[in-house]
Amino acid sequence: MKRLERLAKAKSSGQLLIVAALAIAILIATTTAYVYEVSKEKPATTQSYPAADFILAIKQGTRNAVISALANASNGGEKTVLASNLNRLAQTYRSLNAYGLYYLSYTALNDSHYMDGVWLSWEDTDGLGVSSAYANFTLKFYGLTEKTMLSYTINITTAIRLEGYFTPNGSGKIVNLTCQVFNEGKPALAKNITVYYEVDGSWVPANSSNSLSITDYGNGVYAISFMTSADSGAVQVSVHVHDLRGIFVKANVTCNQF
Amino acid sequence: MRKQRRGQIRIIEAFLAVLIIFSSLAISASLTTEHKTVESSDLASVGLQTLTKLDSDGSLGAYIDNGDWSGLRETLSLLLPEGVIFNLTVYDDEMRQINTEAIANGELNGQEVASIKYVCVSQNPNFKCYVVQLRLAVVK
Repeated sequence: MKRLERLAKAKSSGQLLIVAALAIAILIATTTAYVYEVSKEKPATTQSYPAADFILAIKQGTRNAVISALANASNGGEKTVLASNLNRLAQTYRSLNAYGLYYLSYTALNDSHYMDGVWLSWEDTDGLGVSSAYANFTLKFYGLTEKTMLSYTINITTAIRLEGYFTPNGSGKIVNLTCQVFNEGKPALAKNITVYYEVDGSWVPANSSNSLSITDYGNGVYAISFMTSADSGAVQVSVHVHDLRGIFVKANVTCNQF
Repeated sequence: MRKQRRGQIRIIEAFLAVLIIFSSLAISASLTTEHKTVESSDLASVGLQTLTKLDSDGSLGAYIDNGDWSGLRETLSLLLPEGVIFNLTVYDDEMRQINTEAIANGELNGQEVASIKYVCVSQNPNFKCYVVQLRLAVVK
């Protein structure tokens, strides 16, 4: 009898091994699956970036809107274009509803220089020309977990500084100018430069017939020279510049004999 | 003879047991690897930073203004990390799609997708505002 029991025990111990192995396997698999499910992140079907990134993107958008407005106003558009652009932009952000609610408000600067946030100073004869736009912004952000209010200023300025003189050349004159271009106070490149000089009260464009030469030094400095047969005395020169953003600016300078 | 056979069966059973345990370990390991791939989704942040960078000098708006969809696709391919599939759609401010061809470098099939909406303002003197939707996924 005992022998029979021992035999049966011996026969079933292999099956027990497999059952135990299966149990261990199931235990490992279920533990791993549980850990996986618990630690799995929610599907990123919506935005999961920090609000700071999006606020930076909004600042970038407002900056571009101010550049667009200044490019428009400096090329003959209305100064009210800044307000109009910013209203449309604020409306677009309100309707976006991405990651939270965004309320963008602005105040265009009005002072002795700026009107409706735009300042165009082109008529001085001291060689300085300025096209500028200035607005203060307040951004209120209502996210799912946070509220943020941020105030910032956008000031876009394209300026040129002109210096020049002339040297007599036979019956004519050779005019030499240095033109420096700035964006927000830093050296910047020009998309195109047009030079005019005054003859009998009207502006005449300088071109190849005047041996016009413009040398780009690549650092925002341009050397300009041309010949004119204008009569004796100082030469009034006007330089018109479009920067790479399409913003127009001009400056006038009186060139005296060197 | 019978005892010998019983011994062989034990060995086979032991092998089976080892096989079962190891296969469960292998399955668990593969689950963990897949998890790691999916987890790499601060993709939305990467995508938003890429668009902001591209927009910082007005390039993004210029591509859209000019309808240069292939240029935009190539630039995004260069700026986004390797192994990321993107699909970009451009809408006007009334949410009408304006890109006339696909701006994508692959199909987004079954992957976990990060979606970003970005407002792009063109530096063009004629004010134009676009809503750019960028969808990103990691290649499996």
